[in-house]
Amino acid sequence: MTDSIALYIHLPFCKKKCGYCSFVSFEGRESNIPEYISALDAELTQRANGECISSIFFGGGTPSLLASDQLDRILTSIRTLFKVTENAEISLEANPGTVDERYFKDIRQLGINRLSLGVQSLNEQTLSFLGRIHTAGDARRSVRFAREAGFSNLNLDLIYGIPGQSLTTWIDTLKEAVRLSPEHFSLYPLTLEDDVPLNRAIKRGELSDIDPDCAADQYEAAEDYLASRGYCHYEISNWAREGMECRHNKVYWQCLPYLGIGVAAHSYIDGHRIANTTDLNEYLGRFQRGEPFLFKMDEEITLETQLAEAIIMGLRLTAGIEFGSMKKRFGIELPNRYEREISELVQLGLIETDERGIRLTSKGLLLGNEVFWRFLTQ
Amino acid sequence: MKKTDQSLTRNFCIIAHIDHGKSTLADRLIEMTGAMRGNTVREQVLDSMELERERGITIKAKAMRLSYKAKDGKTYWLNLIDTPGHVDFSYEVSRTLAACEGALLIIDATQGIQAQTLAHIYVAIERDLVVIPVLNKIDLPGAEPDRVLDEIASVLGYEPEKVLAISAKTGEGVPDLIEEVINHIPPPQGDVRGPLKALIFDSHYDPYKGVMAYIRVVDGHIEKGSQLQLMEQETQIEVLDVGCFIPETSPVDSLSVGDVGYIATGLKNIGDCQVGDTVTTVTNGAEHALEGYRPAKPMVFAGVYPTEPGDYEELRTAIEKLSLNDASLSNEPESSPLLGFGFRCGFLGLLHLDIVRERLEREFGLSLVITAPSVRYLITTTSGQSQVVTNPSDLPPPNEIEKMEDPWVSISVVTPSKFIGSLMELIIENEGIYKYTEYLGHQSLGELGQRVRLEYDMPLRTILTTFYDQLKSRSQGYASLDYEMQGYRESRLVKLDILVNDLLVDSFSRVVMPDKAHAVGKAMVDKLKQVIPRQFFKVPIQAAVGSKIVARADIAAKRKDVLAKCYGGDVTRKRKLLEKQKEGKKKMKQLGNVEVPKEAFMDVVKLSI
Repeated sequence: MTDSIALYIHLPFCKKKCGYCSFVSFEGRESNIPEYISALDAELTQRANGECISSIFFGGGTPSLLASDQLDRILTSIRTLFKVTENAEISLEANPGTVDERYFKDIRQLGINRLSLGVQSLNEQTLSFLGRIHTAGDARRSVRFAREAGFSNLNLDLIYGIPGQSLTTWIDTLKEAVRLSPEHFSLYPLTLEDDVPLNRAIKRGELSDIDPDCAADQYEAAEDYLASRGYCHYEISNWAREGMECRHNKVYWQCLPYLGIGVAAHSYIDGHRIANTTDLNEYLGRFQRGEPFLFKMDEEITLETQLAEAIIMGLRLTAGIEFGSMKKRFGIELPNRYEREISELVQLGLIETDERGIRLTSKGLLLGNEVFWRFLTQ
Repeated sequence: MKKTDQSLTRNFCIIAHIDHGKSTLADRLIEMTGAMRGNTVREQVLDSMELERERGITIKAKAMRLSYKAKDGKTYWLNLIDTPGHVDFSYEVSRTLAACEGALLIIDATQGIQAQTLAHIYVAIERDLVVIPVLNKIDLPGAEPDRVLDEIASVLGYEPEKVLAISAKTGEGVPDLIEEVINHIPPPQGDVRGPLKALIFDSHYDPYKGVMAYIRVVDGHIEKGSQLQLMEQETQIEVLDVGCFIPETSPVDSLSVGDVGYIATGLKNIGDCQVGDTVTTVTNGAEHALEGYRPAKPMVFAGVYPTEPGDYEELRTAIEKLSLNDASLSNEPESSPLLGFGFRCGFLGLLHLDIVRERLEREFGLSLVITAPSVRYLITTTSGQSQVVTNPSDLPPPNEIEKMEDPWVSISVVTPSKFIGSLMELIIENEGIYKYTEYLGHQSLGELGQRVRLEYDMPLRTILTTFYDQLKSRSQGYASLDYEMQGYRESRLVKLDILVNDLLVDSFSRVVMPDKAHAVGKAMVDKLKQVIPRQFFKVPIQAAVGSKIVARADIAAKRKDVLAKCYGGDVTRKRKLLEKQKEGKKKMKQLGNVEVPKEAFMDVVKLSI
């Protein structure tokens, strides 16, 4: 396990860009997909070192825009260049508006064993407000297709904290989503970067701003409800049935190594954090010219920063961080090193501590940033 | 430089409202006399400080000697003494007038008489100065000479045909004006053999020669090396240098009766050589000083703190440097739990405060927090002790105050009659007590109505709020204001405290009328609620008089922050956002356990209500 790494593949294509999205993805560039797959192949070849791969995650964008044979090509390439473990978790993000039963059956055959469905909401009004291309019916159908195709590990992405979304609307969506019985939930508060259309509408005063108190109510209600339905809250934004936590994402939270391939992908390898270009044309151009892929950023993460990041990311997990494992990894006694910070945070009611470690309190889960920055160096 | 004949000397000044053209006229006079050639005149020579130039106002009086060959064939020395044009400096103006035999009264043909013009002209008339009324800006399209001449005739009694019409800008009428000065302003009188008496009407600090006193010799004469003393302050000096202004300082052998010039005193402290004092010789000196000396006395006080606590030493040096040249700027070290170390500075008025602030920021590159300005309160405690308080937070508790007095002024407002109602309302809201109404002239300004002068008594403290701004906005900019100190009156005032999370924040304390405590308190707590970010706990903000809460606002606890997603493992971005948040925390001021951004805090300190 410790010698294996996680592999992330970014597929930056969308039929339509959503009004809240600031991920690197491009609308109307589907014609570039074949070439992009060749470029991915080239990058994989350039960067592969025969590592052992324990999880693969196809993220986007809309990975489900790729045909199954296109995904096959990427997976084949991966399997040739790396040693993919037998029980590897292989996830794909899918938009309910782009899939059918045939498609899910095909990709299940390729070895993809986990689907993350971008459901976001089961309320039609909310969906159209967000600019999604699918309906609530599409979302329900896609879950059925996935089950019929043999997927036994499903995640549903849902968004709360949306302007105009009441607590009741949110809980209705959540209840209905629970009835679909996925193994895993990712619940994200709507966060808007400056330049996205929804944020511009808020700034123009056409739209009410996000209400953080309402979002907090929605989060707490979700926590209660999911707990009552047997979902375990294992990370700030993630809930899962026992044993069904997302292995790939845990690699990020535990600051373990991962390799990111494709436009805008990030890697954390050998103590270096690496970012690929976010420019699709540049990425394709390098491939066309047969040039090696260069990194937009290559930052050596000092031991000091590694420690800070391990705490910050680790605290996202509800289990928190264990003093013992931090000592083993960094040779540092956390309670001594961060004595002042820990006692201040305990006093503020944001973390709790015992002899084993520290973890966020339920208040702290909503105010994570206030906890995290205190562990930064300098 | 040749010694002048007393009969060929004329000492005069210019009285004008801001922007009525005083400095421009001074430029023309310089241009048309021997002092400088026209093409070398830097516009508005008299306003030498950069700041004065930008604001179009003259802050400190300056003097200069012009030589002019008149129509009678004789060459005259004309000593033009400039006057500061703002109410804060009315004492300096009165000393300047005392150094002259005549004054040019400049009135803008587009505007007419203003409050300040009147205040100054009354002082000139009281001192028996020969006043030459001048109508300026006759070249402007908006000029209304008939209406303004009528105003001058009705208010000041000068017949329209006696008023000189000029354009300082184009020079039209200025040669006639100079002849008028020579023919109508009397030459200085005085006893050249009598004991020395010279009036100090201004001063500045020179790093090489110490304090340079600007003087007008009334009797006797002064030479380099004379052993002199200042009669009121009992300061002894040796004259290091004697000279006059042409307009640069230019040494002369001596200054005699009627002369205007400077003496270099070698004094290090400008406070030892204050305006209004009389210079005489140490031996065989004059028996009595000239009348009218008054030590500089700051009327308005404010805390001046560096935004960065580390800049305290720099601020101290800067204030010391400004004080070298400004006897009316006082300072005492002060500290506040919130603002750290700073100074409680005293100023002549709000403009003076503003000028000092701008100079500190501009010339010394300092970033400052200036607390709300306060007046001087005289307190008699129940135990019979007297206290002088210039910082509201130093006031004793209400039950220990037997008597409280604060300074009152007599205000004069000139406005078109259309705005009278609204201005009276404003003045009464600010505790004004009506005294007098006077109509200026007989002609109306169209729909604005006739011009009127209102006289009220008002506490100085209410002028220190937004009074002047409101006066201007309620009168569409037409009203002008002048005020004069009257003395202290007993008042019933209370200290309004602000408590943030039950902690009293001294810098927010204010002195208010009891019936305004709620309104002011409400405005302050609302502002604080708006600017203090939500904390992890509920923060009550209260305005209190003694132990009585008069206004309250609660800041709800912060429950949720924005957790940026990790875009496909982009931990670096996440970390950088957190680093930014951490940097932001450093800029916070701590009020107990409540974190307040510094800017927010300043908004409240500066809040004018």
